[in-house]
Amino acid sequence: MKEYMYLFRGGDGRELNQSPEQMQAHMQAWGVWMQALGKSGNFVTGLPLQSGGKVVENHGEVITDGPFAEGKELVGGYLIVKANDLDHAADLSKQCPIFERGGTVEVREIMPMDI
Amino acid sequence: MSAIPQEPQAIVDQFFRHQWGRVVSHLTGKFGVPNLTLVEDAVQEALTKAMQSWAFKGIPDNPAGWITRVAHNHVIDALRRKKNFEKKSAELEQGESSYAMDWDMDEEIKDDELKMMFACCHPAINAELQIILTLKILGGFSNAEVARQLLKKEDTIAKAYTRGKKKLIDEGITLEVPFGKYLSQRLSRVLRILYLLFNEGYSVTAGDQLIKVSLCEEAIRLGSLILECKRLVKPDVHALLALMYFQSSRFGARLDRNGRMVSLEHQDRMLWDHSLIELGKEHLELAAAFGHINDYFIQASIARVHCDASTYEGTNWRQILMMYDIQLQLNSNPVIFLNRVIAYGKVHGAEAALRELRLNGSNKTLEKYPLRYAVEAELLAEKEDYATAIEKIEQAISLNANELEVAFMKFKKSGWIELIS
Repeated sequence: MKEYMYLFRGGDGRELNQSPEQMQAHMQAWGVWMQALGKSGNFVTGLPLQSGGKVVENHGEVITDGPFAEGKELVGGYLIVKANDLDHAADLSKQCPIFERGGTVEVREIMPMDI
Repeated sequence: MSAIPQEPQAIVDQFFRHQWGRVVSHLTGKFGVPNLTLVEDAVQEALTKAMQSWAFKGIPDNPAGWITRVAHNHVIDALRRKKNFEKKSAELEQGESSYAMDWDMDEEIKDDELKMMFACCHPAINAELQIILTLKILGGFSNAEVARQLLKKEDTIAKAYTRGKKKLIDEGITLEVPFGKYLSQRLSRVLRILYLLFNEGYSVTAGDQLIKVSLCEEAIRLGSLILECKRLVKPDVHALLALMYFQSSRFGARLDRNGRMVSLEHQDRMLWDHSLIELGKEHLELAAAFGHINDYFIQASIARVHCDASTYEGTNWRQILMMYDIQLQLNSNPVIFLNRVIAYGKVHGAEAALRELRLNGSNKTLEKYPLRYAVEAELLAEKEDYATAIEKIEQAISLNANELEVAFMKFKKSGWIELIS
């Protein structure tokens, strides 16, 4: 098994004017999905990211608030999973609740140390 | 390596929704009614953050405190951005840390919700806006949800809500539970709004039944909240709660599998929720202990007689008729009059009830009221005068706008047509 990273973009539903009830349901859907990954032994780790941030260029000569204007492009969190190959990893992401809110998942293999 | 994700069901149903009302009330109390919209944005932000992070990291030990703290910090940030805030910020930062450490302010929060309830039902605001303010701020419903509950357009609700909030600010309404001579007057206004809210949810209309049940549940939740404040424990509150519990007990029996209305007579009484009936009885007894009879008390008492009867035929109609007699003296309105006519018919027979209806039922309001003709038709059918009954039910149908009720009446009519031919 290799390790893969999911990068979650968009899908926080800010533009949808969601009700508290809908937000709770969405959160629970995420919990259910991640728990299933945990039970099947595919879950490794993951964390959500705050919105906003800084982009540092040229040893700090240029520090900007970053190209974070578009909510859709903003990375909102990541997850590391174990999977057989890239297709398998992509397959495991299909049930992710982010798609209900128009977000995307970028699936990348983590480069192994012992090549 | 982080832990395996936690059980997602670690928080109760509707936690977010109830938290909304609590935190918005609490922070609006703290930062003032003029900052209501800013507070709402902050709470929305806090809930969004909870949604994003709790699934990853698990539910925090004190989820209510977590949301309050995050929302509070967002308010502070927003106010700082508004510049004119600098003077006050130092003192507020102290408040910030004080409940960052331990959050055991349940009592205070309940009090904040109560104060907000009185503000939303302030007499300077009209009843419709009061209902919308209550549902939006305390109920934590979105515009779309309120629109579905009240059968209005989402846009209409959004505009009305903005108007309602403006009114709260313009009238200089502050968050407090009134004292002294104003208390009973203001409390009856609050109860009136809860009653209307409940009726909106309880009325038999087509559409999403679940969302309508949530309206009734909210009315009951807010009613129960009132009783947590000792000086608000009044007979009216108990009586209204009793009424709402009795009525709610029938929710599961009012529509059949095809979404058609089932009249009280034909409801499967096994489907009534007996735990709710018990709660209704408790509150009715508490209300009775005050020895004060009011409109809610009588309505609840009538509802109780129905709940006590194991069959429709076995209903104690004499007792119900007596209640309607008292109610009609307290408050004469066409709905009570017509319900009394039905009870009168059960006790004295259809012929006598028809006389009663024709003698006292010919005023202008009643003549435009579909239920009047439906009741007349039922009584005529009981006398087996089906031809006239059909005429009358047609009149009722032509006046009625409620789809489910119309379908119900058409069903009755077709039965009578069969009996003639």
